[in-house]
Amino acid sequence: MLILQGIIDGILIGGLYALMGAGLTLVFGVMEIINFAQGILVILGAFLSYSLVRATHIDPFVTILITIPAMFLLGYGVYYLLIARLKRDRVIMSLLVMFAVAQVIEGVLDIAYGGTLVQIHASYVDTSLRFGSINIPLVYLYAFILSAVLMGCIYVILYKTKFGRALRATTQNPAAAQLVGIDVHRVSAATLGIGVGLAAAGGMLYGMTASFNPASSYDLISRLLVIVILGGFGSVGGAMAAAIIMVVIEDVVAVTWSPVWGQTMFYLVLVAVLLFRQQGIFGKQIARAQ
Amino acid sequence: MLVFEGLFAGYGGGDILKGVDLVIEEGSVTCVVGPNGAGKSTLMKVVSGLLHPRVGKLEFQGQSIAKATPRQILKAGIVQIMQARNLFTELTVRENVELGAFLIKDSSVVAKRLDEVCDMFPIVAQRAKDRAGALSGGQQRMVEFARALMMDPVLVALDEPSMGLEPRSAQIIYDSIATMNKNGRTVLLVEQNVRAGLSLASHGVVMEAGRVRLEGTGAEVLANPQMRALYLGGTIEEGQGVASSTGVGAGAPAFGNGS
Repeated sequence: MLILQGIIDGILIGGLYALMGAGLTLVFGVMEIINFAQGILVILGAFLSYSLVRATHIDPFVTILITIPAMFLLGYGVYYLLIARLKRDRVIMSLLVMFAVAQVIEGVLDIAYGGTLVQIHASYVDTSLRFGSINIPLVYLYAFILSAVLMGCIYVILYKTKFGRALRATTQNPAAAQLVGIDVHRVSAATLGIGVGLAAAGGMLYGMTASFNPASSYDLISRLLVIVILGGFGSVGGAMAAAIIMVVIEDVVAVTWSPVWGQTMFYLVLVAVLLFRQQGIFGKQIARAQ
Repeated sequence: MLVFEGLFAGYGGGDILKGVDLVIEEGSVTCVVGPNGAGKSTLMKVVSGLLHPRVGKLEFQGQSIAKATPRQILKAGIVQIMQARNLFTELTVRENVELGAFLIKDSSVVAKRLDEVCDMFPIVAQRAKDRAGALSGGQQRMVEFARALMMDPVLVALDEPSMGLEPRSAQIIYDSIATMNKNGRTVLLVEQNVRAGLSLASHGVVMEAGRVRLEGTGAEVLANPQMRALYLGGTIEEGQGVASSTGVGAGAPAFGNGS
């Protein structure tokens, strides 16, 4: 029963990590940038929702109606203000720019909130559904449902809209995309906006399921990187599957052995997979046209 | 129609194009040939807006396009098919072709153009739902042609369209280029297969070391004895035009079949 409980928890929380990882992998797919700021952006999203809940007493889920658009604009602005201006060694320099952005956000959050661990509260945070000896925290279930809905939205954007087609084309071949008239800068800015917007939603859910402070971003970004590496950089579906598999493994090991080994297993699996399959579990061989 | 005048361009490590002077006439098929490193592909990048000239004039239908973006150049009526295969291989054939009309907002126009290109290139309709990457090299080129025609361009720029294709597929490509031209489109073609390219061309241009060294009709350039020297490691005397050169039409060199 412990194993079943671990699997259920892993799937539900894995959905949340899939959401946060989707933002990272989408940005990489289009811009080839590893967005090192994604961890702290999730924490920023968590703090924004935390503050809104405390100030207005609205339900945490309602806060994303404000935080997603706000953080979309943040990502869009960061692209045009910082990344689009880079003229040389854009990929490497973007990496450094996003690292700098992460440091600035962490500094601001440190000043504003300090290092105390906080959590987003709602009336149902401590409520669970019980099925025999299986316990399903309501907040995990809600987090999974919202993650699934948002991932569904991403799917619709990617595969059913003109913008999504432009995004997928840019991911594969930016030069050819330009030659058919796609504004690669606009697509990149919107993609970074979507990635950061997903961090807003992920942050709210993360803040309801765990306590956090600005330093929580380091653990988060490590996990997210593992997920997108295993999923195959640039693959949203891969990130989803990898997130669920990894969190299930972690939770099952945690409940059957020890939480410390659960966390270690997360990284051991990464090493093992990369030894035998460098492109990740679901990634294809890197064959992007230049 | 398309005028290059004293054009210099490069990638930061020095100029590749070193004073190109060239006029592409409306309705012509202009084939640019030259040894590796002559600057042919750089010339095409300048035409498409992927690379901006450092100095010099570049005008299309009387308007300067020297600083235009690829999007603006596309809107002006120039489409380019790049050297390597450049379909979006993970997208379907139909998605690829529809992306050719990315700048057209009217869906009825897109649908009409799609019908037209399906008539010209039946592979588009036959393999519409297949992943473009699953097509053979020749079929992928056909789909690229179809995608390029979705904007109903005035000038089509093709960078080595036969590269990597077996002779039969290459011939289909050449036939398609001839058809495009017959339908009123001006064609600017860069080709490694010198004989095939120049045979197709009304205007032949030879580039070497970033400059135009020789011009004339396709047949004249093909027949010029200096071409043999160029392709066997020699060079062409500056300012040597075909019209003033000797030996036109006699002893055509057997170079550059390429296939």
